[in-house]
Amino acid sequence: MASKRRRSNPKTKSMTSVPTRAQRFAFFGPPPLLDGEDAALYDDLVGRMCAAVKPVDVIDELYVASVVSLEWEIMRWRRLKFSVLQASVHDELEGFLNERLDYEAYAEDFAQALAEILMEILQESPQKDLAEEAKELAHQYARSQPDAVKRVRLRLTAAELDADQILDQVKAQKVQELAQEYARREPEAIRLVNELLASSGRTIHDLVLEALPRDLDEIERIDRLISIAETRRNISLREIDRRRMVLGEALRRNLQEVEEGEFEVIETTAEGQNRVQARRESRTGRSERAAIRGRRSSH
Amino acid sequence: MSSARKIKANRANARASTGPKTAQGRARTARNALRHGLSVSVSSDPVFSEAVDALAREIAGPDAKAEVLELARRVAEAEIDLRRVRYARHQLLNSPLSDPDYESQARVREKDALVYRCMRVDGPFTPMPYHVVEFLDSKPEGPVKLAMILSDKARQLLAMDRYERRALSRRKFAIRVYDLSCK
Repeated sequence: MASKRRRSNPKTKSMTSVPTRAQRFAFFGPPPLLDGEDAALYDDLVGRMCAAVKPVDVIDELYVASVVSLEWEIMRWRRLKFSVLQASVHDELEGFLNERLDYEAYAEDFAQALAEILMEILQESPQKDLAEEAKELAHQYARSQPDAVKRVRLRLTAAELDADQILDQVKAQKVQELAQEYARREPEAIRLVNELLASSGRTIHDLVLEALPRDLDEIERIDRLISIAETRRNISLREIDRRRMVLGEALRRNLQEVEEGEFEVIETTAEGQNRVQARRESRTGRSERAAIRGRRSSH
Repeated sequence: MSSARKIKANRANARASTGPKTAQGRARTARNALRHGLSVSVSSDPVFSEAVDALAREIAGPDAKAEVLELARRVAEAEIDLRRVRYARHQLLNSPLSDPDYESQARVREKDALVYRCMRVDGPFTPMPYHVVEFLDSKPEGPVKLAMILSDKARQLLAMDRYERRALSRRKFAIRVYDLSCK
C-alpha cells in the first residue's frame, strides 16, 4: 500500500518522468476530429508540424497545437467545398439525364426488372418454365408488342402494380448509375453523357454554371470558414516567429553577457600575465590553423 | 459638436431603449447567458479552474516566481477558455453529424411541401413517383450532411466565432506580456 502511494505521488524530482511530446499534446485535449475523420492523419500532421517548428516550450506547443487544429479545419472545409460542388454538379447531371436519357438506354434493364416481377406473380399459377415465360413476356412488353402489353398490364393490375411506376424506378436507377459512372470517369459513361450533352447543345461546364447559383450560399459560408481559419493560423505562425525573435534576442544577450564575463577576468600578477599571454598565443595558433585548413579546403 | 437639444433627445431616446419590457421578453433575455455558458469566466468553474492551475504551472515551470506564475495563469485562462469555445463548436457540429436520424429543418420543410404538392396534383390515394419516394426516404450523408449542418447552425457558429476571436486575442496579448516578463 505504502509503495503504491509512493509511486503515485513522487516526492523527489528524479522520480518524476519527463512528459513526452505526445503526452503533452494529449494535455491540450482530444484532437478536434469530426465523425468519420482519420485520427492517424491528424497525428501525422501534428508530427510534421512539430518537426518543422520544433517547439521549445509549452507556449510554443500551444501555438503549434493551434496551428495544427486550424490547418486541419482548413483542409476539412476545402474538402467540403469541393464535395459540395461535386454533389451539386452530380444532381444537375442527374436532372439532365432524367430529361434526356433515351428509352433505349434502359430498355434492357426495364425488361429484366419486369421479368423478375412477372416471375413472382406467375409463381402463383401452376405453369412450368416460369422464368422463360416471364422473360419472354417482359421483353415483348419492353418492345411494346400489343398482345404482350395487354397481358402484362392485366397481370400487373391484378397484383396492384403499375408498369409506368416500374419504368420510372428503372429509369431513375439507370440515371443514378450513369451519373456515378461519369463521376468515376468510366469511358462508356463519359461517351454516352457527352453524346447527350452535344445533342442538346450543351457541355458539362454549362451544368456546372447552372448548379453554382443554387449552392452559392453554402460555398460562401464554407469560404468564410476557410478564410477565418487561414487568418488565425497565420496569426499563430506570426506569433511563433515573434517569439523566436524574442528568444533569439534573449539568447544573443545571454551569449554577449557570457562573452563579456569571460573578458572581465583580468589578472594583473606576473603569473596571470603569463597565463593571458599563453592563452593569446594558443588562440593565435588556433586561428592560424583554421586559416590554413580553410585555404586547403578552398583548393 | 452636438447641440444641447440633440444631446437631450439622444439621452431621452437612450432611456427608452433599455432592453425588453414585456415579461415574456425579459424571461427570454434572462436565459441568454445560459444557452452555451461561454460568457461565464473559466475561473468560476472548479473543473476549468484546476485545468488553468495545471497549465499555468506547466507554462511557468516548477520554480517560477509568484508574478511570473500569475502571468502564466492569465495565458492558461485564455487557453482554457479558447479550448472550451472550440470544444463547444466541435460538439455543435459533431453531435448532429454522428446522429444517423439527423434531418435539417430546411429539408423537412422541403419534404412536407413535396408531399402536399403530390397529394394536391394526383390525389391522396395515387402512389407517389419513385423519385419522390426515394427523396422522402433519403437521409443526408457525408459532406452533404455536414454542409446542411453548417447551414442550420450558421447563427450559433457565428456567435461561437466571436467568443473564439476574443479568447484568441486574449491569449495572444497574455503571451506577449508573459514573454516580456521572462526576458
